[in-house]
Amino acid sequence: MPEQSIGRFAAFSFVDRITEIDGLRRVTGVFTISPEVSYFPVSLVAEAIGQLAAWVAMSHVDFKFRPVAALAGDTRIFKVPQPGDTLELEVDIESCDEQAIVYRGRARINQEIVLELLDTLGSMLDINEFDDPERLRHDFACLTSTGRDSGSFLGVPRPTLHALQVAQDGGVNGCEVELSVPTQAAFFNDHFPSRPVFPATLLLDALLQVAQPFTEKTVGCQVAASRITNVKVRAFTAPGTTLILFAQSPEAVADEPNTWCVKVGARSAGKTIAGAHLYFSTTHSLESNL
Amino acid sequence: MADQVITKEDIMVVFPTVQKTMADALGCDEDDIKLDVSLIEGLDAESIDFLDMVFRLERAFKVKVPRGKIIEDVRGDMPVEEFEQNGVLTEKGLARLREYLAEIPAERFSSPMRVDQIARLYTPETFCKMIITAQRVAAAE
Repeated sequence: MPEQSIGRFAAFSFVDRITEIDGLRRVTGVFTISPEVSYFPVSLVAEAIGQLAAWVAMSHVDFKFRPVAALAGDTRIFKVPQPGDTLELEVDIESCDEQAIVYRGRARINQEIVLELLDTLGSMLDINEFDDPERLRHDFACLTSTGRDSGSFLGVPRPTLHALQVAQDGGVNGCEVELSVPTQAAFFNDHFPSRPVFPATLLLDALLQVAQPFTEKTVGCQVAASRITNVKVRAFTAPGTTLILFAQSPEAVADEPNTWCVKVGARSAGKTIAGAHLYFSTTHSLESNL
Repeated sequence: MADQVITKEDIMVVFPTVQKTMADALGCDEDDIKLDVSLIEGLDAESIDFLDMVFRLERAFKVKVPRGKIIEDVRGDMPVEEFEQNGVLTEKGLARLREYLAEIPAERFSSPMRVDQIARLYTPETFCKMIITAQRVAAAE
């Protein structure tokens, strides 16, 4: 692969074409997951929806600011996409100004919903801190006209996790795992070119990978992520950072049989930098909801 | 209508919802959310928490609260240049702030005071007032 294909506008970009912009109300787009990708975390579907919203937000403020992940109130997961799938993306914008964008969105595959984002807020920050506004303006023009070639995204490495503590009878009330954020990775070239930051959606994926087996071990059956609420990203994570990911013991959700909520978070140097509530349902009950 | 006096009774009407919403946003017990606790110094709230609280309160009360609304409410009809200069409150601006945040003990106001220090004074009561003002504005529209 040529160098440029894993750099900016490729290594962590999840909109191939913006198909329609209805003022500052609604925007739609598409992204095809390359069949060559072996691993496409479900959190990257949320990333794709967020990036579609980000393009419109940046355009609206004349590329002076860009939104970054801050709050995601409620994310519903209906299906895990597969390599080769084309995501049909939609965003409904509630408000957008130089401080924040508030939106909801969803992704479908062949018109079947796979993930829905509700109550999402991105903080707008000075665009010059992250990227070259002129290049972004050019990329936006490309996305809204011909689109870019699909298949540029070549995947992300699976997170490297090291268990530190696991709940035991009478022992710690949850589990802790160490995540070593790589010092170098292709996605840093794209997220973001002027300030490499570990993507919050990859952190979320790592948290899911910590919490899911922990939940299965605790409740004694196979589960899958069905919902994520209360996502709050408090700080940027630089390349090379060591994070402690933690998950509290699963709690059965009232009125939702076979569903458990796990409060998770990430600490860096003793400070909590992100948190979320992950919901897991037995795979049987998930299938019955479809 | 939005300039009407906000009474303690008005505040106690919205406080239970504000209390629950703030507890959810900060991940603490509702009992920790006292009317007069400093959100930053007492509950370790950060800027993202303020964004979160306003976001949740908007949904809970079905009102729109523009970012920076509290400072706007404090300033009211006072021209910006009379309220602050180079990011520092003028004497008039500080007097207006003391009047708006009358529930905050006098010793917590510094003089001079920078505009970006105002948030350190915020308590749940400040947010109750913000919601009541937003409700009155919405009702007047």
